[in-house]
Amino acid sequence: MSAVIPYHRVNVLTGIKSARLIEDAQEYAGLIQKAKRPLLVLGPLLLKSSLDGRLLIEYALEIAKAANIPTCATAHVRAKMAELGVKPDSFYDVVEIINALKDPNWRGVKKEGNHDLVLFFGIRSDLGEQGLSVLKHFAPHLKTMTLCKYYFPNANYSLPNFRKDEQWKAFLESLIDNLKKGV
Amino acid sequence: MAEVKEITRKLEEIQKKIKAEIPWEPVGPTPMPEIPDLRNWDMRLLKTYAPFYAPFCDLCCFCTYGKCDLTETRRGACGIDIATQQARWVLLACLMGCSAHSAHAGHILEFLIEKHGPDKKIDLGGSINIEAPHIRTVVGLKPETLGDLQIALEYVFKEITHLLDSTNMGQEGSYLDYESKALHAGMLDHVGMEVADIAQIVGFNYPTSVADTPLIDLGWAAVDKSKPVILFVGHNPATSTVVIDYLRENNLYDQVEVCGVCCTALETSRYSDRAKVVGPFSRQLFFIRSGIADVIMTDEQCIRTDMPIEASKAGSALIATLDKAMYGLEEASEMDTAEIVRQMVDDKKHFAILDPRKAAEVAAKVAMEIAPQRRKEWLTEGEAKELATKCNVCGMCEQVCPNLFNIGAGIAEVAKGKFELIREQFNLCVGCGKCEAECPRKIPIFKIMQVAASMEKWKVRAGRGPIMDTEIRTVGAPITLGTIPGVVALVGCSNFPDIRDIAEMVDEFAKRKYIVVVSGCTSMVAGMWKDADGKTVYEKYSPAFEAGGVVNVGSCVANSHITGAAIKIANIFAALPLRGNYEVMADYVLNRVGAVGIAWGAYSQKAASIGTGCNRLGIPVILGPHSSKYRRLYLSRKEEDDWKVMDARKKEIVDTGEPSPEHLAYVCETKEKAMVMIPKLCIRKNDTPQGRAIKLNHYVSLHKKYMGGGLPEDIQLFVRRDPDIPLVYKKEVREYLQRIGWKPREPVGLPTLIGTYPSKVSVDAVIH
Ligand code: SF4
Ligand code: SF4
Ligand code: SF4
Repeated sequence: MSAVIPYHRVNVLTGIKSARLIEDAQEYAGLIQKAKRPLLVLGPLLLKSSLDGRLLIEYALEIAKAANIPTCATAHVRAKMAELGVKPDSFYDVVEIINALKDPNWRGVKKEGNHDLVLFFGIRSDLGEQGLSVLKHFAPHLKTMTLCKYYFPNANYSLPNFRKDEQWKAFLESLIDNLKKGV
Repeated sequence: MAEVKEITRKLEEIQKKIKAEIPWEPVGPTPMPEIPDLRNWDMRLLKTYAPFYAPFCDLCCFCTYGKCDLTETRRGACGIDIATQQARWVLLACLMGCSAHSAHAGHILEFLIEKHGPDKKIDLGGSINIEAPHIRTVVGLKPETLGDLQIALEYVFKEITHLLDSTNMGQEGSYLDYESKALHAGMLDHVGMEVADIAQIVGFNYPTSVADTPLIDLGWAAVDKSKPVILFVGHNPATSTVVIDYLRENNLYDQVEVCGVCCTALETSRYSDRAKVVGPFSRQLFFIRSGIADVIMTDEQCIRTDMPIEASKAGSALIATLDKAMYGLEEASEMDTAEIVRQMVDDKKHFAILDPRKAAEVAAKVAMEIAPQRRKEWLTEGEAKELATKCNVCGMCEQVCPNLFNIGAGIAEVAKGKFELIREQFNLCVGCGKCEAECPRKIPIFKIMQVAASMEKWKVRAGRGPIMDTEIRTVGAPITLGTIPGVVALVGCSNFPDIRDIAEMVDEFAKRKYIVVVSGCTSMVAGMWKDADGKTVYEKYSPAFEAGGVVNVGSCVANSHITGAAIKIANIFAALPLRGNYEVMADYVLNRVGAVGIAWGAYSQKAASIGTGCNRLGIPVILGPHSSKYRRLYLSRKEEDDWKVMDARKKEIVDTGEPSPEHLAYVCETKEKAMVMIPKLCIRKNDTPQGRAIKLNHYVSLHKKYMGGGLPEDIQLFVRRDPDIPLVYKKEVREYLQRIGWKPREPVGLPTLIGTYPSKVSVDAVIH
């Protein structure tokens, strides 16, 4: 695949190993459902933006619920989750969860073994991209996936740079539907 | 035999340099340490706080074997792997930072020795006897004169060369050893900074041994643009002080406005409290493009490299005053002054003038001549609206913004006559200028930002230099017992991610009776906020190094006084000898001094070396989210890591299971998270039950405030026995502990890492 320039240029890939760009929600759902022990890492941007008046965190929680994925609340995400009456399955800040994930022998947030697929959603893109780089280089035992609206070259699977929020929203909704259906 | 002789000769040489015969303290095991001398200490730290690498790039392109692909298990043609390559980068960054400060020290020292002679006595006033804790500890020398400072600096220069050597293609092959070298560079940086600031205090008669330094006018609106304006940019006050002397001697000081951006501003205001501080690095380009400065004088570090272009665009005259940044300009120190002035005024030519007297005279004359011809108007809202209408919201500006926000949306709002968003965004802008350069419609974004920039004037307290010995005597006990819950040092640059975060953090922790220390651009930004009564944090809180005080030590090189204060606690309060005794000092600080550094908006390599120097000394550092681009953190894995210490009284190794401090270099994404990490990283094994309860009280209460209630789920790791539980949360915490099956454990009488790893230092050395 030819190089895709990430939306935020500070995240331009300087290297050779870049994410597979996926636009098809069904394919994304398939990858998630194939995973044995997925994890969804929730970042603070989920509290800041909304799509059509619905806060992103609500989409994130719906994804978690639809596919039964345990969650990890970073930064102060838990404050909002408490308001929504949802308890995250774990609390780590983003560098801490990545540090744990790096270790193949880590037992994971459910103590059932390290995760094989980690979904990131709502992390500031420079920090997110650096975090994904850690896992790309030092965690060959797992795959990473992003749900933010831009391309993240250091992930294994990434969405494209959606020019319009509607496209992103449609993707997320279709992803949720697919996950609910089960593929 | 030959080897023994060599060692003795080397030791003799060191003893000569550090004047070992002067018996102010016995010489410890590591005077003038070289790369291997503190390696075991580093390795012990790195065992618990393992390096965490976030590669910025998959490749290495350092030599002509490359580019080399370092992904997966690949190694470069020289054999290096990706982790080691990151560590090499980190070492290089630390060396850049350390060199910047040390070369600054070297320049200023030469300048001041020229002025005062090498025998000029170091006298920091009646309240400071331990004048140079870093030089005493690391070098083993008690500097009495400016000439003595040179000895310390020569040592630093020599070590830098050895460290830099190790980054050449095909040398060091272990990331841990590169980290040990980076820690070495960080330690040297604090020596270099200390040399610079002591020299400046002595040579320029800066305030010293006083807490209540003057409040300086702060902000672009504080600059009187009706006068000719000279702007200093950078870090080194050699020329700015001479400019002030020149203006005073020629009775011009009333007629010319003198101001600065970045650390030279802070330095100059220590020399003359009439000099204005415009703001931090993130306001540099904004202010230059405003055209308010008639003459811009650059010195070194944190100055834009496109200064001649920007100065010309703004119609300002530029004088480069230091060899570090000469911009390809003609060096005019030998040229006739009148001729330089003529060419600058008539031909709009910029010059490098390395002779400070000449530079000062030229600056004053040029400023007075060109100011009356220049227009310095601030944009009106109507004009801004007009300029903004061209924006077609293409989003190019957002894509290049290093702080990742959409200034174009703000511009589009301005076009509609709405200014709220852009005012908000101005607080996020790190002042890089990339957006404007990228805009296909050539919209003057910085100009438009003038309507967003607050016209408020603020105050910053002038930097005061070292913490006084008298203050250390008073706070030593409460800090090490924990009853002062911590020393929170907000240091360095303050650009990312939101400029308002700093004042909020200062206010939060000063209110809670932590000791808050600030330096560099952060000290300015802390002042750019007023409470409901119209007071800045400097007017609101005591300037003393005491519970609830807000202390501005000064510019970047004054950071050495913050770490120096930690050493002084060990030396003055605990009476541990410091001379050539780095390991004992660092071990004391790590286990007993609840200090944490916050480099929230840092962007430069200097921040890397300052932070790494803090880490070697046992002080954890919290960084803002963009700082993941520094490539390396030092993180523990909480209870899974090695938290064994030696109880020096019982001479027993104890497995405490207590992750304190939990990390040494940590990035967090939001201010809210930082607010909770700060109290946690102030926890030390030495805390008394009363002190621990106070620290946990803040940890819990800030957690509740910023994390939506509840208890921190790791609280059990920090409660040793029931008296550690803060009174206010007794019931809630007890219930939680019971629920999870927590077991009490004995606090350690005298916790130390000495004795848990191979070291020349004996356990008895930490007993005071
Ligand atoms: S220094 Fe080593 S890894 Fe880098 S380009 Fe040269 S051979 Fe390759
Ligand atoms: S790049 Fe220029 S035209 Fe495009 S959105 Fe930004 S300010 Fe508007
Ligand atoms: S100048 Fe400010 S708004 Fe423009 S790209 Fe830089 S940080 Fe972003």
